[in-house]
Amino acid sequence: MDTLEQFVEKFSNAVDFQTDVVLTGDTNLKALPEWDSLAALGVIIMFDMEYSKAITGKDLVVCQTVADVYKLAA
Amino acid sequence: MAQATIRNVRYAGMATCVPKRVLSNIDDCPPQLRSARERVVRNIGIETRRICHEWQTFSDLAFDAAERLLADLKWERDEVDALIVITQSPDYLIPATAIIMQERLKLKQTTIAFDINLGCSAYAFGLHVLGSMISAGGIKKGLILVGDKSASVIEPLFSDAGTATALEFDPDAPPMYFDLNSDGSGQRAIMLPVGGHREPFGIQHTVPVKDEDGIWRSPTALVLDGPAVLSFSTQQVPPAVRNLLEYAGCSSEQIDYFIFHQANRMINETIRKKLGLPPEKVPSTLQDFGNTSGASLPVTMTVRIREALQEGKKKVLLSGFGIGLSWGSCIVDIDGAVFPELIES
Repeated sequence: MDTLEQFVEKFSNAVDFQTDVVLTGDTNLKALPEWDSLAALGVIIMFDMEYSKAITGKDLVVCQTVADVYKLAA
Repeated sequence: MAQATIRNVRYAGMATCVPKRVLSNIDDCPPQLRSARERVVRNIGIETRRICHEWQTFSDLAFDAAERLLADLKWERDEVDALIVITQSPDYLIPATAIIMQERLKLKQTTIAFDINLGCSAYAFGLHVLGSMISAGGIKKGLILVGDKSASVIEPLFSDAGTATALEFDPDAPPMYFDLNSDGSGQRAIMLPVGGHREPFGIQHTVPVKDEDGIWRSPTALVLDGPAVLSFSTQQVPPAVRNLLEYAGCSSEQIDYFIFHQANRMINETIRKKLGLPPEKVPSTLQDFGNTSGASLPVTMTVRIREALQEGKKKVLLSGFGIGLSWGSCIVDIDGAVFPELIES
């Protein structure tokens, strides 16, 4: 299992931010302009390929923070 | 899981027609949206698409493809016993486009003609239906016209194309192997909810409605649940391909080319990596032709491997997946088939 820091790096690559963003576990997802359906696609693939976990768009919709997404990898 | 083997049917040829009109996902995007669009293009891998003129329909493209294919095959029109059209962009709601095309292509009145309503998964299903009819006897030669006019329905994914594929009876043809599946529980993942008999178009559908994300949408617009489609595609297609290979007693090394529906780069790359396939065996036309719905397999064969397919016997695995939800794959040996160069209309 990755640490939160390792997860955040993979998460950041999966979302493909347009500008540099400093992410922590407490970062509110809705405050991120790139947190959209395209980001969801990237994160779903990242979970599948990195953690062998099949998550859905609905799993991501209920997440409020980056840490909430990290918990899905557990 | 429906698996099937079809014998005595030869893949005789295929032609692809796309509109001349090219749309750039970047250059034709309004400047204020360009930065966001560049991020989308980087991830979906689609830079340009082909879009019909307003007066042009899918069947116009398919007609040009069929005319060229019949000419190159040197088939007489009276030899065509069956004509199957697979589209979700029919000329009219009724009658079936295939019957209109029977007259337009000047085929005989004893030609069997009907439509099948499938999208991105269409190609293997079409080969299976026509192949079964030919294998059963009576029908010697037939055409399948596959494609859609979908570039104008939603951007920046979809692109227009029409294709024609010819199958014929041949007792010496190697078997074709199929794996075909459906899951109606995913019917809402890609849907045009208004305009059918369940919800006929009414005056209320002219008023935009705010969705759960706070975005105003037309009730008549295509509903596309991207995450659901991605999850479905990347979870279902790799095992279906493995099942088909096992059913056919074939290793992935024995397949010369794997042609997948061109959905978007994220989906296609995930499927390729999960199956452990080298990029050179998995040709792609996403960058230049986008997602051409059911036509995307023929488009990719014509644009990327047309010459290789004419050089000698090739074993190809064709796999389509999408709206329905529906997914179908097949293994076909192609030898001596006719592949005209890409037609632009």
